[in-house]
Amino acid sequence: MRTPRRPLARLATAAAAVAVATACLTLGQLAAGVPFASASTGVGWIRLAHLSPNTPAVDVYLYSFRDPNAKIVLHHVSYGTVSPFEQVPAGDYTVAMRAAGASPGSKPVLSTAVDVRAGHAYTVAGMGPASGLRLQVIPDRLRAPRGKALVRVIQASLNQDVVRVTVGGIRLASHLKFASVTAYRPLKPGALAIRVAGSSERTTDTFQLMADSLYTVVVLDQNGKLAIDCLMDAQGSKVDPVGAPATGFGGTAARPGAGLLPWAAAGLAGLLVASSGFALVSRRRRPAAHAR
Amino acid sequence: MSPTRLIRRPWAAAAALLGVLMLCSAAAGLAWASHTGRPATPPKGTPPLVPVPKGKWAAVPPSAAASVPKPTALDIPAIGVKTRLIRLGLTTAGTLQVPSSTAVAGWYTGSPRPGEPGAAVIAGHIDSYLGPGVFYRLRELKPGSLVYVQRGHGSLAVFKVTAVRTFLKTKFPTAAVYGPVPDAQLRLITCGGTFDPATGHYLSNVIVFASLRP
Repeated sequence: MRTPRRPLARLATAAAAVAVATACLTLGQLAAGVPFASASTGVGWIRLAHLSPNTPAVDVYLYSFRDPNAKIVLHHVSYGTVSPFEQVPAGDYTVAMRAAGASPGSKPVLSTAVDVRAGHAYTVAGMGPASGLRLQVIPDRLRAPRGKALVRVIQASLNQDVVRVTVGGIRLASHLKFASVTAYRPLKPGALAIRVAGSSERTTDTFQLMADSLYTVVVLDQNGKLAIDCLMDAQGSKVDPVGAPATGFGGTAARPGAGLLPWAAAGLAGLLVASSGFALVSRRRRPAAHAR
Repeated sequence: MSPTRLIRRPWAAAAALLGVLMLCSAAAGLAWASHTGRPATPPKGTPPLVPVPKGKWAAVPPSAAASVPKPTALDIPAIGVKTRLIRLGLTTAGTLQVPSSTAVAGWYTGSPRPGEPGAAVIAGHIDSYLGPGVFYRLRELKPGSLVYVQRGHGSLAVFKVTAVRTFLKTKFPTAAVYGPVPDAQLRLITCGGTFDPATGHYLSNVIVFASLRP
């Protein structure tokens, strides 16, 4: 039994490269006078994947149309690798693949345009056999029905080129061909068994899938054997609290709380009575002491 | 001042004593009226945050447990916030529990941990009955401000503010706060806008959106 793979768990060095590059990208945007927009507007997400079994490692480049100087590079990305999602300003991008170690100035083996819309996420994956390699832009969903986990499958096994996939007993695909993607399907969350069966091989693995979260199951060839990977596409709160939280009592609001006024008045009156009482006591006392 | 002299002017001494008593009771009354702890409903009967699967597959701990430690403290130098983080669950009514003290902030345990994919939610009070609370200056944050979340095992997550927004409570953006997101983000929540003395509540929420700094 496993937990869905956080993209961060793998690809540590590549992630660092993405991070540095994104920082540059962001700085570039700021320098260009383009406001770095909020999480809810103005930004989208992109992640890069290599899912072509017999294609050697590649360098993946992400170029921004808006800022020609900004780019993200993932070096030496091998089959089965998926980067973490990166937040990027909405706009037009180009993803290009070069052979690992090829000069950044050389002609890319493949390239594709990606229109990143604000609030949307995209997986750009090298798919298919080496002979017919293509870069596919797969839109990712970011909303799950309340209390459900959304699950889809990417078939990237060439050895078992047609598979049947069931998740938690629900059949997600009967004849899923190599290099194809299913639609998301809502499932009851929990520890779910994922079963993949090809023509000559089958495998099972169990993953913890949570409510209000989205997952991509990737069917892979791993060391010549059929394997299952489960990626977390997006995660939400396990339970959405109802309504808006009450996080203030009004002490700094323009109008003071009405309940405080009587007490404040009583305090003021007490202060008056006490001070006049003390004043009387000490005034009567002083001359008497002096007279003695 | 000897006792004999005080007794010589008993009415003056009585007045002084009465005044002191009035002061004391007024102070106690003020303290009582401004008591910050309209305590959060105890999370008794709260629905379980992690759905427990039934059937032959045993439950495994949420995947978060393996990687990112739980948050322990919050630092926002730009507005002088330095607080430990308590844990917040849900009330029996299903609303977000809020800290019983206005001086500390809390992390909603149903949200992702700060630094893992998803939006971690932290709530704190803008004020008590008397004065500023831990998130009194939250609305002053600007895009680009840094937010530091300390976690267990000495790890630290640094977030950069992307937006500060005010929403009417009747139009609270549930999906934008608690909904799924693909990367590590943070939401800081407090109250704001107009205070309604009739209900004792603010009419709006101030929400800070932040993303994990690369």
